[in-house]
Amino acid sequence: MSTMTALLLVLLALIVLVGGTAGLKSYLSILINFCLIFMAAWLIAGGANIWLIAAIFVPLKLATIVYLGTNEQKLADQAFLSSLLVTVIIVLLIFALTWLGQAVGLGNQDDEDLIGLATAPGIDYLLITALVAIFSTLGAISEAAVAMNAGLLELLRQTPTITPAAYQHSAQQMGQDILGTAINTILFGFFGSNLALFIWYLRLNYSLTQLLNDKLFVQEVLVLLESIIGVLLIVPLTTWLIGWRKNYEAKRRNNKTTRQNNKATRSQQPTVTSKQPPDTPHQEP
Amino acid sequence: MKLTKKQTMLLLIAILGIIATFWAYQHPLGQGTLAQVKRVQSVSHQAETDQYQNKDTQFEQRLTLRILNGSHQGRTYQVLNDYDASQLVNQRYYHNQRVYVQFSHQGKATILTAKRDWVLILALTLTALILVAILAQKSWLILLSVLANCLLFFVTLRLDIWRNGTATILLYSGAAIVFATVTFIIYQGWRRKMAIMLLSTISALLLAFGLSYGIMQATKERGITYMAVAYATQSPRSLFLGQTLLGVLGAVMDESTDIVTSLSELWQHNPQLTRRQLWHSGLTIGREIMGPLINVLFLIFMAAALPMTILFLRDNNSISYTFEFTLSLGVLQSLISAIGIVLTVPLATLASFLLRPMTKEVQV
Repeated sequence: MSTMTALLLVLLALIVLVGGTAGLKSYLSILINFCLIFMAAWLIAGGANIWLIAAIFVPLKLATIVYLGTNEQKLADQAFLSSLLVTVIIVLLIFALTWLGQAVGLGNQDDEDLIGLATAPGIDYLLITALVAIFSTLGAISEAAVAMNAGLLELLRQTPTITPAAYQHSAQQMGQDILGTAINTILFGFFGSNLALFIWYLRLNYSLTQLLNDKLFVQEVLVLLESIIGVLLIVPLTTWLIGWRKNYEAKRRNNKTTRQNNKATRSQQPTVTSKQPPDTPHQEP
Repeated sequence: MKLTKKQTMLLLIAILGIIATFWAYQHPLGQGTLAQVKRVQSVSHQAETDQYQNKDTQFEQRLTLRILNGSHQGRTYQVLNDYDASQLVNQRYYHNQRVYVQFSHQGKATILTAKRDWVLILALTLTALILVAILAQKSWLILLSVLANCLLFFVTLRLDIWRNGTATILLYSGAAIVFATVTFIIYQGWRRKMAIMLLSTISALLLAFGLSYGIMQATKERGITYMAVAYATQSPRSLFLGQTLLGVLGAVMDESTDIVTSLSELWQHNPQLTRRQLWHSGLTIGREIMGPLINVLFLIFMAAALPMTILFLRDNNSISYTFEFTLSLGVLQSLISAIGIVLTVPLATLASFLLRPMTKEVQV
């Protein structure tokens, strides 16, 4: 048996033992995510339009992580919405910074690995560099979105009559806790992903100028900062979305009970419908 | 108009950041000769087809460079630059772009690299602004922890180079313990809860790594293509083990913090909870976070290999060969990380049992 097969089996056993059905779903989400990445690479190599691939695969990946990673419909819907919105903002930021940085394609450190490969493959590597950055940030953004939405929905469930000021305060508190740990996850992921490259820089005595202008260094640091910005943006956006939804639901309930025919609120009716039944109380074993 | 402390801080960061960005755009940071592209003329372009039937276009541009500093300051040079439309290993230069150049003995100028440092400063400014705007007073804690961890990372790398890639497991496990201790002290302060988080983090990390290492030994590391470790300047196996140990550490810390904090709050609200109930609550909290957390690392490790994967597939390599040489190590790293993330759930819950005495004192 190869090491990879053994690790796959051990992980499956552990994840089911610890997480039960939820664990199995998480396992599935990783497998699907792998297939999505590979499929995206395969399609791009086959000449597919990179913009189109991004437009299709980014929502698919977010949906995989969010819907298979959570066990509650309302939470998943909200988390998907906030992560999608933040991703749109981050994609714009990534395109801007990738363009300005002009750190495109592979670095000269890759020369050895390129032996025997075509260096004029006919694919736009500026777009691929941006796509790599987008894919890297997706995981962190959706993880933070799930955590933030779970916290806020639970807060509203515990204290449905919370005042706007208290809501803002609790959301701020919650955001701080989530951000501290989420940024750590990204930072160490970055260390773990680039260890060999950084040892390369140190061994070859790169000067400050060489380092700060190196293609790969700039690419990697930009991905790190873009991920952090993405996670940061989740906090205010989710606070706003959930608060807005709460007000909207309260207004609807009000309108129904007093039978007021308020045209003003009707005309502003947003597209997000909230026809779900009131939530079942949080299951405590 | 009176500004709050936060607004003053934001304004200060914005002004300093913009000045630094503009300054870095115009001036060299550190050594090197900087030049500005004053004029771009396109010389020729021709379609090219390689042995894999890839169609690309090769361009040649003539750049007029004006030297901005050093002994050649003020002089202009003409440089020819070839690039492909795909820009995989070469790149196109634009009007007004800043580049670093070097001169040959014959006095000919060649472009070393585009100037990119100012974009890093711009991105850093943006990150700092958003961080302070959202986190206000707590942002300095995050800043402190990131800085401390970067410094520790640097020291760890220096030690690795000094040992030349030997004693990797010992070195990186030791480093992980120091990383975790420092981070938890910064975030939680020196108290019992912090010690419990630390205990959970270290035990989960070592157990997961021990288990994975045992599996690697038992299967004789069959199918691990260490040859595919990128940028290897020492034993690739040592690099793989080191990056696996460090990569998962943040996620395990994240998870331990979440579980221990939630359980401690739960226990404070309702001190009659039995261990059995606490165990179940711990697993419930854990199973909600472990899936998304595994995906965070998985995507970071996988995305980095994407450019090479696309290139391999483009050049008609088989799927299995491409997987082996571009993605397999990232998958292995993700799997070992996932085992760590899963094992943290029961271990953090078990460690939380130690919370009790403290909570009781508070209750009394």
